[in-house]
Amino acid sequence: MPIHDQGYRRYSGGKAPRGYGWAVITRAGIRTFVAKRAFLGLLLMSWFPFFVRSVQMYAAANLPQAAFLAPTASTFREFLGQQDIFAFFITVYVGAGLIANDRRANALQIYLSKPLTRAEYVFGKLAILMAFLLLVTWVPAILLLIVQIAFAGNFTFFQTNAYLFPAITVFTFLDVTMVATAMLALSSLSKNGRYVGILYAAVLFFTQAIYGVLFAVTRSSSFSWLSFPANLQQVGDAIFRLPLKYSTPWPVSLLMIVGLIGVSGLVLERRVRGVEVVA
Amino acid sequence: MRPEQGTRGLEPIVIAEHLSKWYGQVIGLNDVSVTLPPGVTGLLGPNGAGKSTFMKLVTGQLKPSKGSITVLGEPIWRNPGLYARIGFCPEQDAFYERMTGLEWLTALVRLSGVGDTEATAMARRALETVELLDAANKKIGAYSKGMRQRVKMAQALAHDPEVLILDEPLSGMDPIARRKTIRLIKEWGRTGRSVLVSSHILHEIESMTANILLINQGRILAEGNVHQIRDLIDKHPHSVYIKADHTRALAREFLGHDDVLSLKFEGDAVVVQTGQPDAFYARLTDLAASGKLGVIHEVTSPDDNLQAVFQYLVKS
Amino acid sequence: MTAPAARRATPSVLTSAMRIFDLSLGQMLWSRRSVFLGLLLGGPVLLAIALRVVSVLYTSGFRINGAQAAGASVFGMMIWLLYIRFIVPVLGVFYGTSLIADEVDDKTITYLFTRPIPRRAVLYGKFLAYLVCTVLLVLPSVMLVFFLIVPIGGSSVGEAFPSLLADFAMLAVGLAAYGALFALVGTRLKRPLIVGLVFAFGWEPAVLLFPGYLKRLTVAYYLQALVRHEMPQDSAVSMLLQVFREVPSVTASLAALAGIVGVTLWLAGRAVEQREFVLDQ
Repeated sequence: MPIHDQGYRRYSGGKAPRGYGWAVITRAGIRTFVAKRAFLGLLLMSWFPFFVRSVQMYAAANLPQAAFLAPTASTFREFLGQQDIFAFFITVYVGAGLIANDRRANALQIYLSKPLTRAEYVFGKLAILMAFLLLVTWVPAILLLIVQIAFAGNFTFFQTNAYLFPAITVFTFLDVTMVATAMLALSSLSKNGRYVGILYAAVLFFTQAIYGVLFAVTRSSSFSWLSFPANLQQVGDAIFRLPLKYSTPWPVSLLMIVGLIGVSGLVLERRVRGVEVVA
Repeated sequence: MRPEQGTRGLEPIVIAEHLSKWYGQVIGLNDVSVTLPPGVTGLLGPNGAGKSTFMKLVTGQLKPSKGSITVLGEPIWRNPGLYARIGFCPEQDAFYERMTGLEWLTALVRLSGVGDTEATAMARRALETVELLDAANKKIGAYSKGMRQRVKMAQALAHDPEVLILDEPLSGMDPIARRKTIRLIKEWGRTGRSVLVSSHILHEIESMTANILLINQGRILAEGNVHQIRDLIDKHPHSVYIKADHTRALAREFLGHDDVLSLKFEGDAVVVQTGQPDAFYARLTDLAASGKLGVIHEVTSPDDNLQAVFQYLVKS
Repeated sequence: MTAPAARRATPSVLTSAMRIFDLSLGQMLWSRRSVFLGLLLGGPVLLAIALRVVSVLYTSGFRINGAQAAGASVFGMMIWLLYIRFIVPVLGVFYGTSLIADEVDDKTITYLFTRPIPRRAVLYGKFLAYLVCTVLLVLPSVMLVFFLIVPIGGSSVGEAFPSLLADFAMLAVGLAAYGALFALVGTRLKRPLIVGLVFAFGWEPAVLLFPGYLKRLTVAYYLQALVRHEMPQDSAVSMLLQVFREVPSVTASLAALAGIVGVTLWLAGRAVEQREFVLDQ
């Protein structure tokens, strides 16, 4: 009778090459949220405007009485504007605890004791939020473009507005990157996801409220650079070649957005560490 | 301390009848019927056995899914008045970190309906009992692990309760603090009051009380005197691992006795299974002292641990 | 000699709530959260300083619709846009949803729930602490803004002062109503934050735009009736709000807000009494 060795055996299977650790974090994070019914409900709700717009496009293409519903470039811009509210709630739901929960559970040390760099960890977390945000912004907007072609039965609109595809892509990625990095930076500042969610909402609405006061006092929109939602709107309108809503030059708004991404990056660089050294 | 104020007579401190608790589809406690007598009782079980669930039910933090539980003759769930007679030391290491030990204890004693001055005096007394008076005005956030464990004990006994319920009170303590706490619990029991203390370490419980309650997988396995339970275990075949210079000579010697049930060689050791561990150990000690079969390097009993107790009780 | 535990009288709900209040107020006031909110409330003050500096440098002052703006109306605008629409709901969501949840997250709830006090007293005491803490945070901010802004354009501080007191009272009522409502949300739901944010920044602004009874299902509808300043028109939404605005009487609003506070606190207290708080291991 053969006698088998019962001792410890080393793992001899394959290993993913270095640099892909982030994908493990992203996969695990996505699975965690997709398993939650409430979150799936939120995702489903965020696709409701897409279905309404699809019906609008169907009607415009097939019913002469509904010709006034025919889409224009601004239809897509408006659609993305409508998705902002869903993007906000998804950002709070998904993003608030991304790093805060790890900090609370002292899991950062464990993550960073694996063959995983800090950049990979941050990127893995960022990708979770970005994936969901793109799912409610970029994906439905592009699908809407496809739906338009399908219902119209021609490429006329698509060809006339050839810039729409890159415009949707550039704007949504800029929007999502700003929102995701800002939320992740806030998440790294606390151990309590609930506080982070409120913090995010407060920062967002506060900048808007401050601008609101200045606008009401001065009757000029040249202070819109103070509000992050207004900056996004301004840059979005510029990308979609629409008339600008505020007096602030769009490059200034873009600079504010890039600045916020930069500051968020700096915060993440300082806060995501395996061991916190208290001076 | 007030020995005359101990738990009245021999009235049980806790009575659980068909007590069950489940969290969704997970069963925490399964149809437990048990009566805990006054005095010190040890609740013993491995991690995840249901000790904390039982403790939370006893302290009215959880509502039974089925069955009933009474403490000092009254149902505990939604009966806040009863907490004046109970002191609870939870397992979790959670505090108001920015408060000092004295502030925290005083605030908690005040919640028991005690006036300000008296509450401070009681808090100081409790801190003195756990030997933390020196650190009374230090923030809890600056306490060491052992100090935190002791201040947690202090809040349980500060309001002078009749029954103390301690969930894993020794975890995180250094050996000296451990000894002191064990002594404190024994003293508390000697004054006629009752203590229910949980642990997953047999010798810890044995050092505090002889009266134990064994719990595993949400069920009570055995209750009563620890010696009775040990006797039960001792009737069960008991393995002894002996590492010696001449294991085969030792084995020959063992074979001549009726209590030895089987023998097995493992490298330079022999594993003996005996039906009468006491007699076997007595002979082995004599043998080792005489030195006639060479040096005996190591004697261990793989059965002499909690897991073995559970395995045995589950099998029987 | 210590009074025997068994014979010691169990404190009443009010006494217990006051003792929880004593325990919680310091914790709340000196928490990082309050420091952050203090900074946030410094925002309007900074804005007021900036406006004051500008008004001093440019003596022509601010103009609203071509007319020179009086400091009192700018102050009214700030009360509307910053405090009523933003700060009060944010403070309500932030603290209200956390009253019990914080203790559960920190696992300190056990110490409070194993004392001879009714569980609802814990909630009431903490609610009281929240109210005092937020009023103490908001009060200096509003006062500074008032003294910085009102003198702009020649408005009289003395004449406007009674309106400041009315604003304080209105903000305190708002904090109480939002806090109580979100305390209920916090005790009933597992993820109270999302619901709180949806209510404060989704449901309320949206419903106020529609004519009919739906707006009565908001706190803002009653609270806005207590504001003595004119509603600003800073956006198209504000203009719509102005168009569909129905203003209930002050008495009706106060009664409704008192009802909201009473009912939601009672329901929240009931939820705390009945709910099991299972702490994460």
